[in-house]
Formats: sequence, structure tokens, C-alpha cells
Amino acid sequence: MTFASNLTLSASTRNSWAEALRMPAIVALSFVVVATIIAWSVAPQLFTTYSPVIGVPADKLLGPSTAHWFGTDHLGRDLYARVVYGTASSVSSALVAVVIGVLAGGFIGLLAGFLGGWVDVVLARLVDVLLSIPKFLLAVIVVTAIGFETINAAIATGVSAVAIFARVTRAEVIKTRQATFVEAAFLSGGSRWYILWRHVLPNASRSVLPLAVLQFGESILVIASLAFLGYGDPPPASDWGLLISIGKDYLKWPWLVYAPAFITILTVLSVNRISRWLRKTD
Amino acid sequence: MTERSSLLSLSRRRLLITTSAVAAAALLVSATGFTPAQAADTPKDGGDITFLIDSLGDSWIPNNSAISSFQGHIWGHVTDKLLYVDAEGKVSPWLAERWEQNDNATEFTLYLKNGVTFSDGAPLDAAAVVANLDIWYAGRKNEGINPIGLFPKTYDRAEAVDASTVKVFFKKPTLGFIPTLGYHGSILISPKSIGQPASEQADLSKTAGSGPYVVESWKEGDHVTLVKRKDYNWGPAAVGHTGPAFLDSITYKLVSEPSIRVASVQSGQADVAYNASPQELKSLKEEGFTIATPRYLGFVNGWAVNTKIAPYDDVKVRQALQTGINRQEIIDTVYTPDWKLPTSFIQSNVPGATDHGALLAYHPDKAEKLLDEAGWVKGADGIRVKDGKPLTLTLHSNPYLATSKSVDELISQQLGKLGWKVNIRAYDVVTYGEKVKYGGPAIPTYEVTRSFIDAGTVAGILTNANNGENWFALDDRDTTLNGLRDKIAGAGSAEERNPLLDTLQEYVLDQGYFIPRTQIVQRIYVQSPTLKGEVYNGVAYASYYTAFIAD
Amino acid sequence: MSNAYLTYAAKRLGQAVVVILLAYVFTFVVVSILPGDPITSVLRNPQNGFSEEEIAEIIAAQGLDKPVIIQLWNSLTGFLTGDLGMSMRSNRPVSTLISEVLPSTLILASVGLAVALILAIVVAYGTRFLPKRYGQGLLRGFPSLFLSVPNFVIGLVLIHLFGFQLGIFRVINPDSFWATLFAAIALGIPISAQIAEVLIANLDKEAEQEYAAVARSRGLGQARLFAKHLLKPASLPVVTVIALTIGELLGGSLITETVFGRTGIGSLVQRSVSTQDLPVLQAIVSLGAVIFVLVNLVADLLYPLLDPRVKILGGQKRRPTTADEPSIGSTKAVTS
Repeated sequence: MTFASNLTLSASTRNSWAEALRMPAIVALSFVVVATIIAWSVAPQLFTTYSPVIGVPADKLLGPSTAHWFGTDHLGRDLYARVVYGTASSVSSALVAVVIGVLAGGFIGLLAGFLGGWVDVVLARLVDVLLSIPKFLLAVIVVTAIGFETINAAIATGVSAVAIFARVTRAEVIKTRQATFVEAAFLSGGSRWYILWRHVLPNASRSVLPLAVLQFGESILVIASLAFLGYGDPPPASDWGLLISIGKDYLKWPWLVYAPAFITILTVLSVNRISRWLRKTD
Repeated sequence: MTERSSLLSLSRRRLLITTSAVAAAALLVSATGFTPAQAADTPKDGGDITFLIDSLGDSWIPNNSAISSFQGHIWGHVTDKLLYVDAEGKVSPWLAERWEQNDNATEFTLYLKNGVTFSDGAPLDAAAVVANLDIWYAGRKNEGINPIGLFPKTYDRAEAVDASTVKVFFKKPTLGFIPTLGYHGSILISPKSIGQPASEQADLSKTAGSGPYVVESWKEGDHVTLVKRKDYNWGPAAVGHTGPAFLDSITYKLVSEPSIRVASVQSGQADVAYNASPQELKSLKEEGFTIATPRYLGFVNGWAVNTKIAPYDDVKVRQALQTGINRQEIIDTVYTPDWKLPTSFIQSNVPGATDHGALLAYHPDKAEKLLDEAGWVKGADGIRVKDGKPLTLTLHSNPYLATSKSVDELISQQLGKLGWKVNIRAYDVVTYGEKVKYGGPAIPTYEVTRSFIDAGTVAGILTNANNGENWFALDDRDTTLNGLRDKIAGAGSAEERNPLLDTLQEYVLDQGYFIPRTQIVQRIYVQSPTLKGEVYNGVAYASYYTAFIAD
Repeated sequence: MSNAYLTYAAKRLGQAVVVILLAYVFTFVVVSILPGDPITSVLRNPQNGFSEEEIAEIIAAQGLDKPVIIQLWNSLTGFLTGDLGMSMRSNRPVSTLISEVLPSTLILASVGLAVALILAIVVAYGTRFLPKRYGQGLLRGFPSLFLSVPNFVIGLVLIHLFGFQLGIFRVINPDSFWATLFAAIALGIPISAQIAEVLIANLDKEAEQEYAAVARSRGLGQARLFAKHLLKPASLPVVTVIALTIGELLGGSLITETVFGRTGIGSLVQRSVSTQDLPVLQAIVSLGAVIFVLVNLVADLLYPLLDPRVKILGGQKRRPTTADEPSIGSTKAVTS
């Protein structure tokens, strides 16, 4: 992967290894954000006493205050609670998308790169086809075909990422295969599958990991965009994208858009920063 | 031996009084014209308005699109109808100057206004009306031109007696025929346009109507611009103006985000925003904008309950649902005081609707008692259980009503307190059409949003007899209902029908077959304060035929 | 022109044709599993009051129940002869629908790309030549930030700030100059991030190479140095990235057009998806694939001619993104 290797090359030559390994403050901060997000999704009840579903209708559309950090929505529900409780679904759907991308893409890339020959030719064309369709358009079509729910939006997002992972894995597999130590393993009579498992896979996964982390952030955005267009879960679900999408109908009360948007941006930014850091220290 | 139904003669009488009053007032006020809605202002010619709309619908084939909530606005200005139905359901003459019917409502004679022409030059005569009646009834199904769904299925044929007289025959008594002529689907199109194939009819600029405006330009999914027809002089007398329109042009512009539509009107970039969020109406009113929340004639917003699905086969559970919903809280939270509590399962402005509000009052204690009696016991988690099964209700939010999801969420909180476990499903329009049907096996309640012109329509939804829609999945199990259905369908006059309708309304509500939520406002208008004189008809469409820009 | 180049070009052209055809079939398979169709959806509008029997009768009358494989064959032969069929939703020819909206999307996409390029160059220049304490590090974070903000949020903010608060453009006239510019900004920001990343990475690399150091020692001005020695060599990979962002521009226009109320390919997709208008979706996805494949084909064919360092070996090309290199479409991934 040309650009990445350029980047890695320049990064590693410019900074010493020691300097690169030391975690910059901003990366530490990113980890704090991600840890908070994970905590919200695992145990939302620890972070708020409000219910995300049942509100006080009389308290509708209140501005942010000490009682309601992000204000209340059109049914008098605490928006902060809705954001916190919506985290699990936002995070897990992005995770599903990444897992689909990594597994399906990784499998295709591994087969193509490792087996070569006609398998490679056929799979390469398949990947070309997937790449040729604009990613977001592909996601929209897939989610329409399988139904408007958050999990389906996640699947659609995953499908649209398969091609990228296939490419990266394939290139890494080819690179590793041609490496001296793998050639040596072949010459010394190691079984193909053993070599694949022992040498090729670990090496390939090294460059797939930062990409997967990055894809996680992007998936959050794509799923939010799909939710914005109306392809998400029904109420009372409170995924971040859904919250922004509902909020846009009440722009007179801007916190309904800005609060969930801010959390989304912060999360994606942190994840991107971590991905970049992972690549540099690779 | 023929006679007019007394409902109609009553409205005719009232109309005569109105029109003579209007004529007298017009003499006194000025010679330029008169608009009853805004008597204080004098209409003046000229001006262009922009109407922001959420969608411009799909196909422009007149039969396939005239009932659309969006395209209906354009058709209302480009075409005319035989009769006019106002917001109170009052029927009055328009292009049909008068009409007669026989005793059992199987033969009707329409007498047409002379000198009316379509914008392509063709005369609007008896032959043109016959061509329209035929295509409303049958469509051209193999070409993709649908019939008009609510046109009476009992239609037999129509004949042009002479250039301005049409005789229409029905196989069975059809009291609803006359009001149907004022329905938004019943728009008169030039016979030349009707004869065109579907792909030509789909090009809006190639379709000619006889209305006060003609299409100047349009772009799919973007805008439709209408300009006034200078030789128009056959407006409905009921709106107090019959000459050419005042405004030079109306542009319907698609803006899909409700908040952007409203903000555009607020910032003076447009004149009317359609379907604003109810939450914004209060402050808009305070800022001086004109807010209109006209109610159409039709069913209220509510649920048709599927009586085949347990536990809704139990009348006590249905009655608990009926009394367990706090309708006032829905209006206070999701809507504004412009919305009205339901008094029946049909809107209170429908002729024949009677007040049964007492049956719809909020009595949570009574609801809990009914559930206890029906054997549903509250468990530790607050959910009621019977025979090991939880008391559940799955709601399918209606995609045709923007506020439906919010109302569902609120109701699920209200019912939750009584021990119900409520799930909400929300589908897009297409999936909803596929999966959510009256009486479907997984559809305990079907959310109704349906307009009609004539209260007799209800006879066609109660059971499955005569191709009925069978909203409550009762088939013919309820003999009381069967009896009422047959008597209402066969009634030859409104006097005969109204008491039957009253009994039916009470019975349906008491049995919990239909659970009303609120009276429905499906069309919300936010309008610049300088635009005045618009008129809302029986299906809540705004007509800018009589509108003008005040200084 | 060498024989090797011609062989390579022919092979590459053949691949492109195969990919376009496969993309067409792939789309057909995906859209034909859609559960509904626009005709039934119109019939099922509750205002219509059709009964189930009537709906079934109308559907049958229009022959909508042919086997999928026959539909695919008809559709594919139509596509090859340039006939895109009729829209089921609007009953108008698909080619008419697309040609009505394509200009608007092309304008938005080109202005969006221009905005993205300018923004990327400004950011890249800034990271190179701003003194460290004046926010160089901050600038380096810009691409990450741009990639993290959903573009519908950017759009909503721009509309409310510049459309309504400041009144710079009329929201209901989205094709005006200013409205187009702001829509292009919303569309261009995430794409600028990708270009800026590549630019910065390559600038960093080139800057370390000797000739840059030599040039600097000769006392060239910083701006001239940037333009002459750094921007030019760094721009080759950028050309590749631009070719790859064509898909992103099309995908992004879906959201941007919805938010800004523009009538274009994106809003046509939105309307067709909501009514499951298969022929239109099929045509648009195929169009996207054709554009993407053609742009990349041109880039591939030009590359060996533009850059003498790129060699063709036995019909295989060697540009930064080739079939056996992973970077196509993964620009975000490799550059953040």
C-alpha cells in the first residue's frame, strides 16, 4: 500500500522509535474519550438517573442546564440520557460493520493473495466491481434491500467496506509471501496452511488493525448518515445518528442537533487519532 | 319521478342565502371583487408566491396522483371539479350548476355550466364529463393508469344527453356519488389529455385542465410553477369569486426539511411552508405568521383494532385501551391547542358526525379495573401477564403522518403505566404498504389516516361484505354491525341515514373497535402575514385562487 | 508509443468493460431483492382505498410478475443499446430523469472538488511553512477533524449561519452561485481531508529528499520552493486520489443535495429509494460505476505517459494504485 508505506516510512525516519512510542497527550485524551464511550455503552445506568424512553411531557424542549446537561427533547426526555443510552447501539453497529468488512474482506484478500492464479483474477474483478460503486450509494442500496433498521445499516456499511479490506489484506499477504523468511519456510517444507497461519496472517493483521480502527470511526459516520436519511431503528431508539436526525426537525432548539453531533465528532476524532498513532508505532 | 336529496337541497338553500348576501355586500364594498375569508382587505391583482412543500409526489398521471397529499395542491389549481365541498362538508354547485337524482339514488342527472373550456381549447361539455367518469371508474389498468380508488364501485355507465346534460347510472343505490364529485380525486381533465398514453400523461406540462392556473414550467422533484389563466371565469360560487385569480403565479418548490421550510418563510424567502413541525407553531404565531391547521373530512387519527388477535379479541381489553389513553396529553405535548380532541371515529366537521366524547375520556382507574377483570395481572416489572403471556401491543407508526412516531412514543408511556408492554415499529412508505395491512396477522392496531367526503364511506370499511375493507377483521361475526352496515349503505337520504350513523358511532367506540387518538390535521400551513384570502376546502387543501398580497 | 504500452492499454480497457458489466449485474441482483415496488406503493396509499383484490388485479394487468432472469436479460440488453427503461414511479423515461438532474450534480461535484483542492493545498502549505508555535500542529489535525464531522452537520450549520442568519443565499434557490458554493463546501470538506493527507505525507517525504535541501540552501523563497519542487512531484499521487474521490463526490452528493434542497442525482436516488424505483436505481448505480471506471482508466492510461519513473512491465502497470496495490478507495485509510 503505497501511501501508507510512504507515511510509515516518513514517520519512522523523522521520529525516533522511542519518540513515536511515547504516547502524546492528545492520544491519551483520545483513549479517555473512547474509554468513556465504552463505559457508556456497557453500563449506561451508572452515568445518568434519567430514563431515555420515558420523559416528563411537561418539561419538553428545555435548554441545557445543570438538571439536564444536554436539555430535553420534544417529549420531555433528558437528551444526555438518550445520548448515553444510545451509545451501545451506535458503537455496536459500527463494530458490526467493521467485523463484516474485516472478516469478509480479509478472507477474500487472503485467498486471492495466498492462492494467486485464477482465484486471484476472479476475486480481483469482484473487488473492482465493489470498488466501482460509490460506497455510500452502495450502502443506501443494500440497506434499502434488506430493510431500514440500524443493524441493517451496519451490515450495509460493512458490505461497502469489504473491498478496501480485501485490497489491503491481499497486498500484505503478497508482500509477506515474498519476504525472505516466508520463502525460507516454504523451502524448509512447511505446510501452506501452517505458513499462512504462522507467518502471513500475523503480518497482514498488523496493517489491517489501524485500518480497522479507522473504519470504525468512519462506520459511525456512515451509519449516522444513513440514520439521517431515515434508514435507522424506530423510536424510542436513540442512536446518535437518529438523535441528530430527529433534532434537525427542531432546529429552533439547536442543542437537539449539536449535543449528539458533538459526541459523534469527538468519538470519531479520538478513534482516528488512535488509528494514526497505531500506524506510527507499528 | 326524481327529487334532490334533502341534504343537498338544504345546502343549496343555505348557499343561495350566502351568495345573495355576498352579492349585496360586493355591491356595497367595491367593484373589484370580494373574498369572504378576509372581508377587511380588498383583493388586488398581481404578485407571485412561493409555496414550500415536502414532496412533489411520484407520477403526474392525473388518476394516479390526484389523491396525493402533495400533488393534490397543484391539481387543485390546474383543474376544476363538478361540485365544491367546503371545510364543513357542504356540497355546492361548481361546473355542475344543478343536479337531480331518482328516489333510490341509482340515477343522477348533472346539468353543466356553459362556456367552460380546458386550457388546450377543448370545451368542457357532457362528452368530456363522460370521458372523465369512465376513466375514474375503470382507469386503463394495463397501461398503468389506475382507477380512482374511492370512486363508487357501483358505477354502471354515463351518457351525454345533450351538450350540457349528463346522465349517470349506478347498479345499486349510491348516495355518496354527489359528494364524491367534490373529492380531490375527481378532477376534470381534457379528453385529449385523457386519451394520451401513460408516458405522455406523466409529463405534467402536457395535461390540460380547466382550472384558474396553468402549468408554466416544472421539473421533477424540484418545482412546479403555475401562472394564472386570464380568461377563467367559472370559479365556485361558494368561495365568493368567479373571475380570474388575483395572484399572477404560484411556485410549488420542494424543500424536504421541515425546519428549513419554516425558516425560509420566517426569513421572508418564501410565502408558505407546508407541514411545519407542530412544536414551532406557537412561536410562529407570536411572530405574526398566519397558521392554518384545517381539518379534512374523514376518519380521525386512530387505530382500527384487529379483533382476531389475542388479547384484542376481548372487548374488555379493547375498552381498557379506549379509556387508558390520555388524549389531552397528546395534544398538550405533541400538538398545540389548534388540534381537537376526538368526539367520534370520524372528524367532528363531517356532516353526520355526533359527539361521543364521553366514551373517549381518560379513566386510567377504569382501564386498570377492566384489565383486572379480563384476567391480566400486574407482574413485578409492572407488565401485566395472563397465562404466562405478557400484555403487549405492537404499534406501526403511520409514515403518512409526520407526528405519528411521537404520538406512538407518548402513548406507549401512557399504556406502560397501566401494565402494557408497547413496541413501536416504523417503516418507510413502501415497506409499510407491504407489511402493514388492516387485520394483518401481526397487526393488532392499524393507524388510520384517511379522508373521505361522504360519511356513507364508513359502511364500506366495517366488514368484508361487498368487497368491504374489513378494518376490524370482524368478517360478518358482529350481527349488530352487519345490520347497521346494510341500512347505512342502502339509505336513500341523509335524514334516514343520520340516526343510523349516530348508533354506529356509539357502538363502534363502545366496543373498542376503533380507538381514536386525536382529530387529524394532516396539512399544516405557515403563511406570511401579507398573503391573505386563501380558502381551505373539505380535504384541507389551501386554494390560492382567491388569495392576494395585501400591502 | 511502445508495444508494451498498447498491450497494457488494451488489457486495461478490457478490464474496464468487464467491471462495468459485472457492476450492472451486481446492482440488478441487489435491487431485485428489494421487497416492494412503486406501483403497489401508490396503490396502497390509504387515501386510495383500494381493496387487496383490486391491487392484485392492477398488478397482474401490468405484467409485473415476470421471472427475474428474463427481467435481467431485458434490462441488460436495454442498457447495452442505451435504453435505460421507464421509471416505475413517475412513468417517465429514466434517461430523461437522469439528464434533467445530471448537470446540477456535475456542477456541485466540480465546485466541491475545487473547494476540496484549494482547502487541501492551503492546509498542506500551512503545515509545511507555518512556524511550529503558530499552530502547525493544529493544522496537521485539520484533516482528521474534517474527516470526523458528518457532512450533514456541516450542511445544517452552513445553511443556518449563512442562509438564514446572514442571509448570504436564498435557501429556496439552491442553484444560485452562493448556495452552490456553500453546498460545495459541505461536500468538499471531507474530501479535502483525504487530499490534504496525501499532500502532507508526500510533502514530508519529498522535503527530506536531497534536492529540496539543495534548493533551500540556494536561497529559494519558501513559496517558490513549495510550488516548484514540492507541490509538483507531490501532485502525482494527488491526481490518483482525485480520480478515486469521484465515487465519494457522488455518494456525498446524496446527503448534500438532500440537506441543501438541490435537485440532482443524489436527490433522485433518495426519491427512488423511498419508492423502490428499480430501473432508476439500476441506472444511477451503473452510471456511477461507469464514471468511476472511466476516470480511473484514463488516470491509468495517462500515468505511464506522465511519469517516466513509472514503468510498464509485461503489460503490468506500476503506478501508485494498481490492481495489485491496495490503495484504491482506501485513501482515507492510508492517509489519516
